[in-house]
Amino acid sequence: MKAIRLSFWGMVTYLRRDMMLFAACLAPILVGFLFRFVIPLFEDALTDWFHVPTVISPYYGLIDILFAMLSPAMFGFVSVMVTLEENDEKTAKYLFITPLTKHGYLIARFGIPSVFALLVTVVLLPVFKLSPFPFSYIVLLAAGGTLQGIVIVLLILTLSSNKLEGMAVTKLSTLIMFGAAIPFFVKDNVQYVLSPLPSFWIGKAVFENSLFYMLPTFPLLFVWIWALLKQFLRKI
Amino acid sequence: MIQVKNLSFSYTKQPFISDMSFSVSSGEIFGFLGPSGAGKSTLQKVLIGMLTTYQGSAIVNGVECRERTKNFYENIGVDFEFSTMYEKLTAKENLRFFSSLYEKKSRPIEQLLEKAGLEHDADKRVSDYSKGMKARLNFIKALLHDPLLLCLDEPTSGLDPTNSRVMKDMILEEKAKGKTILLTTHNMQDAAELCDRVAFIVGGKICALDSPHKLIMSKGATTVTYTWMENEEHSASCPLDCLSADEQLKRLIAENRLQSIHSSEPTLNDIFMDLTGRTLL
Repeated sequence: MKAIRLSFWGMVTYLRRDMMLFAACLAPILVGFLFRFVIPLFEDALTDWFHVPTVISPYYGLIDILFAMLSPAMFGFVSVMVTLEENDEKTAKYLFITPLTKHGYLIARFGIPSVFALLVTVVLLPVFKLSPFPFSYIVLLAAGGTLQGIVIVLLILTLSSNKLEGMAVTKLSTLIMFGAAIPFFVKDNVQYVLSPLPSFWIGKAVFENSLFYMLPTFPLLFVWIWALLKQFLRKI
Repeated sequence: MIQVKNLSFSYTKQPFISDMSFSVSSGEIFGFLGPSGAGKSTLQKVLIGMLTTYQGSAIVNGVECRERTKNFYENIGVDFEFSTMYEKLTAKENLRFFSSLYEKKSRPIEQLLEKAGLEHDADKRVSDYSKGMKARLNFIKALLHDPLLLCLDEPTSGLDPTNSRVMKDMILEEKAKGKTILLTTHNMQDAAELCDRVAFIVGGKICALDSPHKLIMSKGATTVTYTWMENEEHSASCPLDCLSADEQLKRLIAENRLQSIHSSEPTLNDIFMDLTGRTLL
């Protein structure tokens, strides 16, 4: 446990030397302010301009979903970049043969940041949400977002072998978050083409305002995590 | 310290290490010699618990390697051939971080840095280090937790003669403290100088295992080659132990006509070539 704790704090200390990664950790707060205070102002301006009752507000639920996924995705991105750098510098390989072990390394780099992301989301989402979600929605959105973050992390790690490739693959991997937008924009059954994406069901649940649609989300997330983790463990 | 019995391992369906058996005593420097791809590094990975899907038995410090726990690593120090340091951190920060991962009390960092000749560069980022400095830093990192077993992979690779000497002296110093050392190398001079015993590994098998001296002696006597002028330069050789019976040599010495004379001892590389038909270099 000592090695895991120190390895995690080692990563946090390391972030202070990389301003890009440090800024990524603060992104949820900055984006939260933008979503909560700037978007309603835009909505007022747009409705006045176009003389319509709503422009952005029907999509507030979608904006909240994306915000719930933001902290896990950002913390995941930071962990991935540190891991890929450790992979480039071969320090990860060395850490596996210290009392930290491979198992402890995975907990320090992905387990603890994921738990931290979950807590941050549970705290920030009620502050910055635009929709009147009950607490049960907030917890489920935060849990779904956190697991979605782990999927993104594993996708990047599986598809890239160094930091440079990781940066490129990150853009591609985060696209799976946008499955949540499909139920908001595609009305007929063709939307189910993207139903293998867990984010699709999160979007569906919020759009339909029914937790029933959340049911496929978690089994799907676990299947994605299981398949990607298998690939990743084979790779390292 | 190490008992390996009928060890086999494969990455694919083809065996990569097959039916290897040997043991290493405490306080011994044991060398794995062989060309690239022979299986030396794979064997080392098995012994440090990085590869666990092997057949047979590999016991290190009383622990079967596939059943290792985190405590297994409290007594193993590994020096890979490549740098395994955080490049953005200083040498001291790196050493402090890695030593903090162990339960055991760390050896004094300043003392280790001084021993490796890095005391004046301790606060320099590792990215600013030369290859030789990185190699020395990598080596002292493996010593931080004062392990009983040291696994060294090509520790003198790429070092200039002075730094190579520093490194070899540090290895011998650890041996004097009773540490067991596994040395993976294809540098025959290092192996002959440092190792108590060496194992030649080719194609995932041990072809020979003995002390360097005994392996060299098994090749036969040293030969002496001499040259002299007689219209043009001539040369002849004879075994060292038959030198007194070489009448031509005796005559040339008596007539002071020798141009040159030198002995050539067989090297581990010669033995390796004899046994395997391949070269170590």
